[in-house]
This record gives sequence, C-alpha cells and structure tokens, in this order.
Amino acid sequence: MPDHDLTLLLQSLGKDDGQASSELLPLVYEELRRLAGARMRQEMAGHTLQPTALVHEAWMRMVGESDRTWKNRAHFFAAAAECMRRILIESARRKSRLKRGGGQAKLNIDDLELAAASPDDKILLIDEAIGRLEKDDPEKARVVVMKFFGGMTNQEIGEHLGVTERTVERHWAYARACLFQIIRTEI
Amino acid sequence: MNARPQQDEAEIFDDARRMTNPAERAAFLERACHGDAALRERIAQLLNFEPQAQEFFDGVVENISAANLAEISAAEAPGVDEQIGTVIGRYKLLEKIGEGGCGVVYMAEQQKPVRRRVALKIIKLGMDTKSVVARFEAERQALAMMDHPNIARALDAGATETGRPYFVMELVRGFKITEYCDQNNLPMAQRLNLFIQVCHAIQHAHQKGVIHRDIKPSNILVTLHDGVPVPKVIDFGIAKAIEEPLTELTLFTAYAQLIGTPAYMSPEQAEMSGLDIDTRSDVYSLGVLLYELLTGKTPFDSQELIKSGVDHLRRTLREKEPAVPSMMVTTMQGNELLATAEHRRSEPVKLITALSGDLDWIVMKALDKDRQRRYQTANGLAFDVQRHLTNEPVLARPPGRFYRLQKLVRRNKIIFAAGTAVALALVVGLGISTVMFFREREARKIADDAKQREIQLREAAERGRQNEMLLRQEAESREKIVQAAVLLRNNRYEEADRLVAALPPNQENLAGAFVFRTLGEWHALRGEWQPAAERFAVLLRINQPDEMYSSSMDFSMQAPVLVQLDKLADYEQLRREMMRRFADVSDPQVAERVLKNSLLVPASGEAVKTLQPIASYISVYVQGMSTAYPDKTTAWQLSALGLYYFRQGNFAEAADDCRKCLRYVGPEGPDSPRLAAANVILAMCEFNLGHREPALEKLAAGKSLIEQKFQDGLKRGNGFAGYWFDWLLARVLSQEAEAMKMQKAP
Repeated sequence: MPDHDLTLLLQSLGKDDGQASSELLPLVYEELRRLAGARMRQEMAGHTLQPTALVHEAWMRMVGESDRTWKNRAHFFAAAAECMRRILIESARRKSRLKRGGGQAKLNIDDLELAAASPDDKILLIDEAIGRLEKDDPEKARVVVMKFFGGMTNQEIGEHLGVTERTVERHWAYARACLFQIIRTEI
Repeated sequence: MNARPQQDEAEIFDDARRMTNPAERAAFLERACHGDAALRERIAQLLNFEPQAQEFFDGVVENISAANLAEISAAEAPGVDEQIGTVIGRYKLLEKIGEGGCGVVYMAEQQKPVRRRVALKIIKLGMDTKSVVARFEAERQALAMMDHPNIARALDAGATETGRPYFVMELVRGFKITEYCDQNNLPMAQRLNLFIQVCHAIQHAHQKGVIHRDIKPSNILVTLHDGVPVPKVIDFGIAKAIEEPLTELTLFTAYAQLIGTPAYMSPEQAEMSGLDIDTRSDVYSLGVLLYELLTGKTPFDSQELIKSGVDHLRRTLREKEPAVPSMMVTTMQGNELLATAEHRRSEPVKLITALSGDLDWIVMKALDKDRQRRYQTANGLAFDVQRHLTNEPVLARPPGRFYRLQKLVRRNKIIFAAGTAVALALVVGLGISTVMFFREREARKIADDAKQREIQLREAAERGRQNEMLLRQEAESREKIVQAAVLLRNNRYEEADRLVAALPPNQENLAGAFVFRTLGEWHALRGEWQPAAERFAVLLRINQPDEMYSSSMDFSMQAPVLVQLDKLADYEQLRREMMRRFADVSDPQVAERVLKNSLLVPASGEAVKTLQPIASYISVYVQGMSTAYPDKTTAWQLSALGLYYFRQGNFAEAADDCRKCLRYVGPEGPDSPRLAAANVILAMCEFNLGHREPALEKLAAGKSLIEQKFQDGLKRGNGFAGYWFDWLLARVLSQEAEAMKMQKAP
C-alpha cells in the first residue's frame, strides 16, 4: 500500500472533521491486516500480540515518528480504532457462527453466561451495545471505540475530540456503565 | 436527549462513583440532581452496574491474542484468497485481477444466460462502511449510465448473502495505454488516434454528467478488437456527478482526491476544496496523459510530487510551469532520448521536431493552470489533435496569418499543383474552339473566364510556391535548432553556436529559446559581450512567454550587456519593451529586476516617471518588511529602490535605502553582487551630496568586490549568490561612479 498516500492524506486533514477518520479506514485497514499476518509469521507461538500494539506499529510503519502533529496521530488512531473494531467483530462473528452451526443467531445471554462469556462473545456484545449507544450519544460511543479498540490514551482521545483529558475519562466511565447496562437489560 | 444535561449526567456519575461511602454518595446525588428524580434514578442504576462493568470490560481486548489476529489475517491475506471458486449470484470467481483501497476486482465466469467472462468488483470484506458503500454505489451508477465503446460497460449489480454490494462489468483484457504504445512502438499518429478515442469516452461521461477525476494510464486499457486497438476507460472509482450528487458522497470526495494520483491531478483538484471540480479538471488530466504518450514522462515527476508533501504539491501544480513536451524530450539523457524516439519509431531530432509546434501548444493549452484557458471540453481537445493530424490550424496556437496560410498550403499541396494543369488544358481547348464562329461568343466567355481563372490559379500557385519555400526554411531552421539543443546538452558549445549563428529567428519555437539563452550566457561568461548581445536579441525576439518570472530573467541578461557594449539606443529600446511588458507586474522579484535594469544609465525625468508604479509596488512591499533587519528579498528590493531614488535625484533617500540594504549580509557572505551594487550606488549618492570621503570609500569597497569577481572569472551563479548579470550590472554602475569621481573632483 502506498504509504505516501496516507502521509498526504494526513497532512491534508482539516481540523475536527469526523469524516476524515472514516476516509482513512481503507488505508489503515489494509495495513493492519497485513501487519497482523506478517507479525504472526515472526512471532513465536504463545506470545500474545495485543491489538493496541498493532495499531501503534501500523502508525510507525505508515507515518513514522517524526514531525507529525498530535492532531494527525489522533486522527490516525481514531481510524485505526474503528478498523480494529471491524476486524475483531468479523473474527468473532466467524467463530461464533461456527460454534452455533451457522446462521446469525441472536445473542441471548443470561447473567451466568455473561460472567463466563468468551472474549469473542464479549466483543460481539459490546459492539452491539455500542451500536445502540451511538444512536443516543454518538460522542461517548466514539470515546469507547477509541479507548477500547484503538488503545488510545485519554490524552490522544482528547486531542482528537477537542476536549480535556478529564472529560474523556468521565465519558469513558459513564459510557462503560451505560454499555453494560444495555448489555444486561436490552440484549 | 439534549447535550447539556447529559454532560452533567456523566459528571455526576463520575463524581458519585468515586465516593465509597453510600450515605455520602446518596446525599451527593440528591444535591447534584436538583430534585430531578428520574435523573437520580438513572444514575443510581448505572452506579449499580459500575463494578460489574469494569470487570466486564477489563482485558477483553487484551485477551485477543496473536492467534486470533493470525486467523483473521490468514483469512484475508493477499494471495491466500479463500474466495476463488466461490459463486456470487450467477458468477463464479476465477481470479483476482485488481485491488484498490476498498474494492477487489475478480475475473469471474457468468454461467447463465450466456457463458462469458466478466469483471466483478466487490467491496472488501469488512470495508462496507457507509462512506465506502456510498462511493461504490456511485461508481456503479456512473458506469450504468454510460454506453460508449471506449468505456467498460456495466452489466449487472447485486449484493452477496451477507449484504456486501458488488457489480459486474465488461472484462477488459489489455495493457495500460502507455505500455501498449511502447510495447508496440506505436508512431506518433497512432498514439494520437488512440488518445482521441479516450477524449471521446471522457466526453461521453461528461455528457452523462459524470466527471472521472482519476484519468491516468492504468485506468485506460487498450484491448484488441479484431486486431484493432481500442482504448477502454475502466475505473470510475472516484467519479463524481456533475449536477447532483449520485449519492451522499459529496462530503468525502475532497479526501478521495488526494488518494487520486498527484501526477495527473489538476491544480484545482489539488486545492481540495473538492466542491469546485468540473469537467475541465478531466481535460487537464487528459493533457497529462497526452504529455506522457508523447514524451514518456508526466509533466511533473510523480515521485517528487509525492515526496514534497501536500503544500508543496499544491504550489507546484498551481504555479510551476512544466517543460513543454519538446523541451522535456530535448533535456533527456542520450540513451533515454534514443529509447523514447525508438518507441515512437522515430529518431531523436525528428521526434523533437515533431513535438515542437502544434503538439507543444496543444498539450500546454490542456495543462493551463487557469481552467478558463484550457480546452473547455474533452471534445475540444480531441478536435485539436485531429486538426493537427490533418494539418489544419490548431486552436491552441496563437493566431497568426502566416501560420494559417502555411497550414493551408501544406494541406492543399496537390490541389495547388493540379490547378495549374487544368488552366493549361483550358487554354489549349480555347485555340480549337475559336474556329467555330457560332460558338465564338460563348468561347470568348469561356476564354475570359479561363483567363481569369488562370490568373487566380497562377497567383495561388505562386503564393503556394513561396510558402513552400518559407516552410522548408522554417523546417530546416527548426531542425538546426533541435540539433543545437542536443549539442548543448553535450556541452558542445562551439559547434552549437556555429550551427545557429546565421539562422533567421524562428518564431514560436521554444527549443530555440533554450538554445539562444544558453549560447548567450556562454558567450557572456567568456566576456564576449557582442555575440552575447546578438544571441540574447534573438532570444528576446522569439521567446515571449506569458510567464513573467523567466522572461524578466531574459531581459536582465540583455540589459547590462547592452550598456556594457555602450549600445545605448538598443538599451533604450529594450527599456521601453520592458516597461510595456511588465507595467502591471505583481511579483516582487520581477519588479525588482525590471526596476533596476531600466535604470542602468541616467534616465530622463519622463522615463523615471514611467517607472513610478513599479517603484511604489516595491516600496509598499518593503514597507511590509523589517528594514532594520532586512531579509534577502527585501535587501534586493532596497538596492533597486536606492537606484530609483538616485536616478530621481533624491540622493538622501537613495543613500538611506542603500545603507539599509548593506545591513543584510546573506549566507553567501560579503561576496555578493547586491552588496557591490549597493556600495556603488551609495558612493554615487555621496558624491552628489558632496560627501567625497565616504563616497570614495564606498566606491572602493564596491569596486574591489567587482574586480575580484571578474578577475576570477564569472560563474553563471544562482538566485542565492546572484547571477553573472547581477555582477555585470554592478560593474556597469561602478563605471558610472568612477566617471563621477573624476567629474566631481575638487
């Protein structure tokens, strides 16, 4: 994938433009996948490769560390977070479908199951809850995606959304509780 | 829910969750909710979930291990494509043939109703975001609207079981248009014919209201139909509807543009306002394509454009004039030039000759920075190329009677010759008919007519003959120019100079400008002012580019040379010419050059007055800058202003500007023609103010710099350290100051 395109795109990003992040998606997505594959061939078995580490590495490879502003970096990470979400959901769906013998069975989980839910199931639940939260409170939903899937720090999220770190922290705590409530009571 | 209370809700929640004492927490909630029971209840409920929520979220993502990711990447990794062989709708995927940012193109086999190979484009797995789907949908709609033999046809569309949209196109099997041309060594005319078809395809799209916006060789494939090459435009991936949005894609097209291809991007496209792109942007890209078909290169090197970053890219596209095609080829290295010519079944000199003239003009018109001055339609461009192929005058060429006539003759060579033969036959026939009395009257009439006609034809033939001669001369001199340019590339100055010495100046030849400029400078650096002046004179006669910056350079070379030669009448004429051309200058550097080069000798009050607008333009510019600590440009401006005030007789002000100018010593050090000139001008001011001592000191300072420079041998120089003609200018002024020293001797 042509890295310079991304660099150009990042340089050209205007301020506080949510659209920009979704424009980055195809570029970032490609790179993340490629990286994951390449890294796996190198990694010894048993090592875990955390998605957030992957996002950071993607950033390093595509843009490098030097002379990029926080704004661009935050833009990139927001896009990467959205990508990571899709990648993980996709994988979780595939496995969950296999487990349930195909079809898109609706998740219906009681408390007991919830406690014992596998990471994959959890991810699917969280994603669905985020989908509902997005309707009511898109800004907080975005914080969750960035924090949860993108591994962004509060500072980075704040940069991207143009709010203070403290606000990000509050939104995260609040959104987390809302999501859990949604999972427990609505799904 | 409105935003404000929600903000509060998150804050209240966050504060409350930090309180461990239930009673304290309840009291806080009561207080913070201002009696809003529903709010309090909601927050209290959330607080109940809080511990579980934390636990639930902890480590979920971290627990996704390398194994998961490996699995994901294996499923989608390039080359390990699980989808080959799968059946989508009526289509069986056979082979992946292309991949873009968000879509993949497969060669597929259609089973029913007919068995045929098609191209199936589908959104990549997981890429079906709203914006990507919108863009994808736009491309499908754009393609479906079009029906043209040079555009890949849309055949079908649908969605997979999981809802990913796809569409089916005619499968185009072929090579990139540039590759096809080079592989088959297509001569110029055939390349142009292919290009005309591409223009027609784009015109068709425009008529359907679609702007392609990513015209480049890899999006135009040449395929053979019964042995005849047919270009097909394939990718409408970032196309945009002209009138109304095809879908809700308008928001992000601005960004898509930069994912486009910088080398083919029009200046307005690079500006990325995104809202103001019209069909003429495609005309520009077609111009780039034509450029590449002709020369093998794009006007701006794509690697350089990309490396330079987005701001620089924009500036280049907006401001920098690309080399005209014939020049681009002329400046190629020997082997590259040879290969380029061979790919066109031509020879270097012939290739350059073929490009210079019409094709240079056509390409440059299509590439105009100002879209108003481009061809207004793709068809307009196609027609002009067609006109060139049939020897008709092209619109791109500035109109000139001689040019149109030579085209007429070139086109009608045979008719002109045949005309004379018919006239003779009529005269013979006339001799026989006179015997027949009863036909006499009629015969006389015929004779008169014939005579008239004969005269007309003879005149036309004579004109034709003369034009042919001129034409031949023109062709010969053009060829010589080209040869000279090639010689100069190999540093064979003497030979080149001999070749063009006796050449009549050949108008509208851009390679000529390069040759005469190079030779003039070559002579100048050897101190051969007379031949230098002659070469520059030709240069200024043949090269009248609109672009002010480079033409002001040409004038700056000739002006001090003429003064050095004491050709003051020629200098005066040059000065007037400069005034005519640069009267409304709007570039500080150009203004500075014009001003000082117009004042190399004492000028009449009238002449100084005509320079007033330029001087005030500069002084406004200078006022905006810090004159206490001037930068390079300001320093140059100050020296020019100093000269202006000096010529005006305003010595105090002139001296002031010179002193300010002298405060700035650039990175090149004190060895600068600007400092030399400022010293000399200051010296002249001081002489006139009666300050002889400082005058002598400044003059000595300036002269020692100048003499050293000429003793060491002039170098061409550069914009930083100053050019040779800047030094010559300083020397010319120092000679005036020297004379003043004698005159004003006590």
